[in-house]
Amino acid sequence: MPSGGPWRRREPGPVVRPYAVTGGRTEPADGERLDLIAIVVATGQPAGAGDRLRLTPEHRRILTVCENQVTVADLGADLGLPVGVIRVLLADLIAQGAVAVVPKRPASERSGNDVLREILNGLRAL
Amino acid sequence: MGSAHSDSPAALFIAQKILIAGGFGSGKTTLVGAISEVRPLRTEEVLTTASIGLDDLAGVASKKTTTVALDFGRITLGQSLSLYLFGLPGQERFSFMWDELSYGALGAVVLADVRRLGDCFASVNYFETRRLPFIVAINCFDGAPRYDAQEVRVALDLAPDVPVTLCDARDVASVKQVLIALVQAISASRARSSRT
Ligand SMILES: Nc1nc2c(ncn2[C@@H]2O[C@H](COP(=O)(O)OP(=O)(O)O)[C@@H](O)[C@H]2O)c(=O)[nH]1
Ligand SMILES: [Mg+2]
Repeated sequence: MPSGGPWRRREPGPVVRPYAVTGGRTEPADGERLDLIAIVVATGQPAGAGDRLRLTPEHRRILTVCENQVTVADLGADLGLPVGVIRVLLADLIAQGAVAVVPKRPASERSGNDVLREILNGLRAL
Repeated sequence: MGSAHSDSPAALFIAQKILIAGGFGSGKTTLVGAISEVRPLRTEEVLTTASIGLDDLAGVASKKTTTVALDFGRITLGQSLSLYLFGLPGQERFSFMWDELSYGALGAVVLADVRRLGDCFASVNYFETRRLPFIVAINCFDGAPRYDAQEVRVALDLAPDVPVTLCDARDVASVKQVLIALVQAISASRARSSRT
């Protein structure tokens, strides 16, 4: 993040409103920035039990969408929330064990060349 | 990302990422919208210019933030493979986002408007420096002078292995050909680097 520049004054933007749902937090609690195409999924473990953090409606919406594997970017699209907000809320759910990041497939399972060929065939078939 | 990983089975699908770059008004949003199966999402990425303590609600009011619309598209290419397109915000003041967006990307399309070729220098330099395979797609705007690919190649000082192609960002068939050309360029680039 830059420490600021002249554009800040020219374009203040709608500012903090989107971050109201995170209680004003703009960085994930664990400091990790999930990749936009990282895949996450609900673990089925109950969230929030006995925890300091109360689940907000947005946390619950994320949990519902995460019943199936989904990318961080798709979550943002589905919920109509900025990716930065999604990351903060996901980090809460991950810390509670309610959501997990799905490991990438081992490279051996499908080689990079196989994936490229699949993309090419898929595009041609569109 | 060690700690957050689950022991659950591996991903059911593979997500791959392609970048769409180019100057302001070069057609990035149009291109992503033409081929994406999801409504062209223009998620507002909120940028903070000062970090505050967690739960520091008092800090919120004074925090300087701005938003940038992020072009995002998805193409499902089979049961277990999805291709994601992300536009790189063209304006220079957002260029610090490029690193994050390009992390793990397969390659990039640089959209060029021949009336303002200089606008894509920054993207071309960026992908050359990062050794990320890319192609240049000349977006054919109405009334723009016709350049041939060779003229553009010379003007942009492109390496011979960088393909230059024409496109109409509004037309799904044309966009599809651009993406095919990019994937072919990525394959060729990998074949070259495995030979050396
Ligand atoms: N004639 C023509 N107009 C285009 C084409 N691509 C984009 N445009 C128009 O150019 C303008 C800028 O495009 P946009 O996608 O917003 O550019 P961005 O700033 O790179 O996202 C819009 O009014 C588009 O409708 C094209 O291939 N041909
Ligand atoms: Mg745009």
